[in-house]
Amino acid sequence: MKEINIFYNALETLPVLASKIKAKQKKIMGYLCSYAPEELIYAAGFHPMRLFSSKSDIVQAEQHLQAYCCSLVRGVLEDSLSGRLDFLDGTVFPHTCDSMQRLSDIWRMNGKYEFFADVILPAKLNTQSARAYMKDVLTGFKKDLEKAAGKEITDTDLQNSIKKFNIIRKNLSKIYALQSKKPGIIKGSDLYTIVKGSMVMDRDEVADILPVIAGNLEKIDLPPKNIKRIVMSGSICDSPDIYSAMESAGGVIVGDDLCTGQRWFEGQTQVDENPMDAIAARLLNRVICPAKHFSPTARGENLVSLAKKNRADGVIFMLLKFCDPHAFDYPYLKEFLEKQGIKTLLIEMDDQQQNSGQLATRFETFIHYI
Amino acid sequence: MIYAGIDIGSITAKAALIKNNRLLGTHVIMTGYDPINAGIKVFDALLKQSRISKTQISAIISTGYGRASVSFADKALTEIICHGTGAHFMNPEIRGIIDVGGQDSKAIFLDQNGQVENFAMNDKCAAGTGRFLEVMAKALEVDLELLGDFSLAADKPSKISSICTVFAESEVISMIAKQERRENIIAGIHESAAARVAILANKIKIKKPVMMTGGVAKNKGMVNSLENRLGFKLIVGDLAQENGAIGAAVLASKL
Amino acid sequence: MSDKLSEKRKIKSAKKMRDIMTTYYLDAMTAGQNNKQIAWITSGGPVEPLVAMDIIPIYPENHGAMIGASKMGEDLCIKAEDMGYSSDLCSYARADISCSVVKGGPIGGLPEPDMLICCNNICGTVLKWYEVQARFYNVPLFILDTPICHTRYSPEIAKYVQAQIDEYIAFLEKVTKRKFNYEKMAEVGRLAFEAQLLWQKVLNTTAHKPSPMSAFDAFFFLALIVTLRGTKIAVDFYKELLGEMEQRIKDGISMVPNEKYRLLWDNLPVWYQLKWLSQKFSDHNACLVADTYTSAWCGAIQYTNKDNFIGSIAEAYTRIYLNIGVDQMAGQVLDMIKFYNADGLVMHSNRSCKPYSFGQMDIMKIVREKTNLPVLMIEADMVDPRNFSQSQVETRIDAFMEIIKQKND
Repeated sequence: MKEINIFYNALETLPVLASKIKAKQKKIMGYLCSYAPEELIYAAGFHPMRLFSSKSDIVQAEQHLQAYCCSLVRGVLEDSLSGRLDFLDGTVFPHTCDSMQRLSDIWRMNGKYEFFADVILPAKLNTQSARAYMKDVLTGFKKDLEKAAGKEITDTDLQNSIKKFNIIRKNLSKIYALQSKKPGIIKGSDLYTIVKGSMVMDRDEVADILPVIAGNLEKIDLPPKNIKRIVMSGSICDSPDIYSAMESAGGVIVGDDLCTGQRWFEGQTQVDENPMDAIAARLLNRVICPAKHFSPTARGENLVSLAKKNRADGVIFMLLKFCDPHAFDYPYLKEFLEKQGIKTLLIEMDDQQQNSGQLATRFETFIHYI
Repeated sequence: MIYAGIDIGSITAKAALIKNNRLLGTHVIMTGYDPINAGIKVFDALLKQSRISKTQISAIISTGYGRASVSFADKALTEIICHGTGAHFMNPEIRGIIDVGGQDSKAIFLDQNGQVENFAMNDKCAAGTGRFLEVMAKALEVDLELLGDFSLAADKPSKISSICTVFAESEVISMIAKQERRENIIAGIHESAAARVAILANKIKIKKPVMMTGGVAKNKGMVNSLENRLGFKLIVGDLAQENGAIGAAVLASKL
Repeated sequence: MSDKLSEKRKIKSAKKMRDIMTTYYLDAMTAGQNNKQIAWITSGGPVEPLVAMDIIPIYPENHGAMIGASKMGEDLCIKAEDMGYSSDLCSYARADISCSVVKGGPIGGLPEPDMLICCNNICGTVLKWYEVQARFYNVPLFILDTPICHTRYSPEIAKYVQAQIDEYIAFLEKVTKRKFNYEKMAEVGRLAFEAQLLWQKVLNTTAHKPSPMSAFDAFFFLALIVTLRGTKIAVDFYKELLGEMEQRIKDGISMVPNEKYRLLWDNLPVWYQLKWLSQKFSDHNACLVADTYTSAWCGAIQYTNKDNFIGSIAEAYTRIYLNIGVDQMAGQVLDMIKFYNADGLVMHSNRSCKPYSFGQMDIMKIVREKTNLPVLMIEADMVDPRNFSQSQVETRIDAFMEIIKQKND
C-alpha cells in the first residue's frame, strides 16, 4: 500500500524528515516518553518528535552513563552527543523512570539545545491532589511553550490539536482492531512502521494518511489463517525484525501493552471539556505505565483484559534489559495471566542487539507449545 | 647499584634490571598456573642472562596481578604506576599509556613529570584484552602471532556487534559458516577490541604522545585498529611487553 | 599494633547502639502482643507521624543493610531471581522480596506490616518494591509522591506534597482508627530535629585532623537516626556519641592510626565488604572522613522548622540529596571536599542504585575540573556480592592511593 510506504520512506532518514519539517518553519521538540504532552507541543506550533536510539555504538555516552543503564537512554544520549540530533530545537523530559530523570539532568547540563523543559508529572495518578498537580504541571509547561513560541496558546489552538491527535489515535486503534479481527491483514513490520511514524512524522500528514490506510484495510477480505494470536507486553519495541520473526514462526501480534504501542495511543481526549482538563484527564486515565502508580494490580488487570479481549493464545514479554519498572511487574503479570490459563514467554532485549537467530528459535518453540 | 623489577601477568611473567639509570636487560617467560614459581624462574633467568648474582641486587619491586606472590620482592606496586614509570623512563615525552594485557586493559594519564594523574581500567569482561584475541584466534584456527598480519590484509572488515567475548565468538562462528574471509573477520575482531580500549582512553581524555604497552602491542592489527579509533599514531617500542617490569625496576631504584 | 592501642580506638558507644537496635527489633517482633501496629517505611519516608501515632516503623532498607553485612545477600538475591525478578534489579528489593517469602536473613525475616508507607524521594524503585509487598501482604499502601526538584522546589511541587501530607495523616487515622495526635507530633518533631542536629554535629567532628571516626563508623551509627528518629532514645544516644567523639579529639585518638590522607566516599556502602575496605584504606594511611550517604539524614535541617515540624515536612522530605539535580549534587560534593579537607574522592558505582550512580561521572568531571583531586570509581553493589571483584577493586584502590601519595608527599 503506497500510504504505508510513505511511513517507511519518512523513517528511513531522520535528518531528511527533520529538514522537511523545518522547511515548514516548524521547530522540533524531542521527547523520549509516551507521557509527553504532544497536544500542547503541537498547539504551540512546534513539532513533537519521539526519539529512538539509532543503535550506533556507544562511545561518548560511556563518559556519562554506566553500562547498567538501559540502551534507550544511553543510545539517545549517544545520538545527541554525536551530533545526530542536531536538528532538534529543544527537548521535553516528562517524569518517567530513574534513568530518564538522571538523563534529563545530564542532558540539561550539556546544554546543547535551545529549549529544555522538565515536565515533572506525578508518579501517582489515583488521587485528587495528583490530578490537581498534573494540571498545574501542564499549565506551567504551556507557559514555557508560549514563551518559546512567542505567542499565546489559545483554547482554539488546543481544541484543534486535540482533534488532530484524536484522529491519529482513533485510526491507529481501528487498524489494530482490524489486525485483531483478521490477523495478518497487515504485516507486523508495516504496523510497527505506521505506529512509529505516527510518533515522529508531521502530524498533519499522519492524520491525513491513517484514515486512508484504515479504510483500505477494512475493505480487504481475509480468509482465517492458522496462526497463533499473540499479545506483546513491554516498554519500547523498536525492532521490526521481531514482527517478521514472529510471523515466520506462525504467530501474529493482535494487540499490545507497549509504551511504543497501544498504551500510547489508546483512548481519546475529550473534546467537550476545558482542553487543559481534558489533556490532563487522558494522561491520568490512559493505560498505565509501570513507572506510575494507580493501584497495586492495575496493570495486571489491564493486561488480562487485553489478552482476553484479543483472544490471545499467548503473551510475550519483550523486556528491555535494565528497565526496572517493567522487570518488577513481570512476575505478577505472569502469575495473573497463567491463572487465566494464558501461557507466557519472557524475552530480554537490548536495544542494540540484532540477535535474530536466537529470537526465531524462541518464538518457534513458544508458538509450538501454546 | 642494580635494581630489579618483576611483573607477573596472567599470561606472561617479565623481569627487568636497571643499573645507573640504564636498562641492563629484560626477560619474558610464560606464567603458567604457578605465579610464585614464575616469579622465581623469570628472575633467575634474567640474572643468568645478564651474568649477575642475586647478591648484587639492591632492591626489587614486584607488580602485575601476581605481585603479592613474589615473596622476595621488597615492595609490591600496581602495574598502573609501574607502566607509567616505565614509559616515562623509556621516553620522557610520553603523556599517555594504553596497556592491553592478557586479562585487562588500562589507559593511563601522565603529567609533565611522568607521574600518574589519572587512569581507567576495563569492566569485568574480557572484551578488549589479550584473552579475547586468544579466544578468537583459536576459533579461527590462526596462530596468535599471525593475527596482526591477517587483519592488515582485510578488504572489508566484518562488523561484530557483541561486546561480550562469548557472544562475539558465536558471531565469528556464524561468519565462518557463511565463509567470510578470515582476514575480514580478524580485522573486525580487532576493531571490536579497539573500540572497547578506546573508551578507556576517552574516559581520561588521554593526551599525546601515547605509548602502547602490554603483550597485545605486538599485534600490528590491533595497533592499527586502535590508531584508527583514536585518530593518532601510537608509539610502540620493542620492549612494550616488558614496560611494567622496567618501571618496577626504576621504582626500585628510588626506594 | 598492640591490643591496648586497638582497644583504645574502638568506639565505646557501639555496644550501646547494638543493644538499642536489638530492643527495637524485639519490640517490633512482639508488636502484636502489645497491641501495636507495624508500618514498613522507605528510608527517606517521613517517620515522625508514625512515631506520633505509636506505630512501630520498620525499614526494609535497614534490614537490607543487615542482610548485606551478614553476607546473606547472594542467597536471597538468587531466590528472588528464581521468583522471576531480574538480577539487574535493586538488591535491597530483591533480598527483601524473597525474604518475605522464605523468612530468611539474619533475624529470620521482618515482622509483617499492617501498612506500607512509600516515599519515592530516594528512587522510583521503592514504588515498585512496595507495590510487590502490597500485593503480597494485602495491606494498605500509602505513597508520598515527591516530584524530583531538578532545578528548584517549585510552588506546584510544594502544593502537591503538602496536600499529600494531609492525605498521609488521614490515611494513618483510617488504618489505626484513631485520631492524629498533633500535640505528640509537635514533641516528636522537636525530638527529630534535635536528633538530626546532633547527627550533623557528630559528622562534623570528622573535619578534625586526624579524624576521630571514619565513614565506615558513620555507616554503622546511621541506623538510629534512620529507624528511631523522633524518639528520645535517639537524642540521648547521639548526645553520648558526640561526647565520645569530642573526647577522642581531646585525647588525640584517631580512627586510622597514622592518618595521612583524607578521603570522601560517595554512594551507599558496600555492606558486605566494610571491614576489608576499611582495613585496605587504613593500610594506606587513608581515612574516609566523610560521605554523601550518611549526611543525607541531616541535610533537611535547613528546611525544617522545629516549632512547626508537620508544617515543614513537605519541603524537608522533598529536597533531600537524591531528589535534586546532578549539578546540585556536585555542588554539595564540592562543599564537603572543602569542609572536610579531602585529598580525594571515592565513588561507589552501585549497580543497585541508579539515581545515585547515574550522574556520578558528571560529578567526577566537575570535581576534577574544580579541585584537580584524584577520583576513584569502584564498581560494586551494596548487597549482592556477585557484582564485586576483590582483585579488581584492590588494584584500583592501590593505584589510586599511589597517585594520592605522589601528589601529597
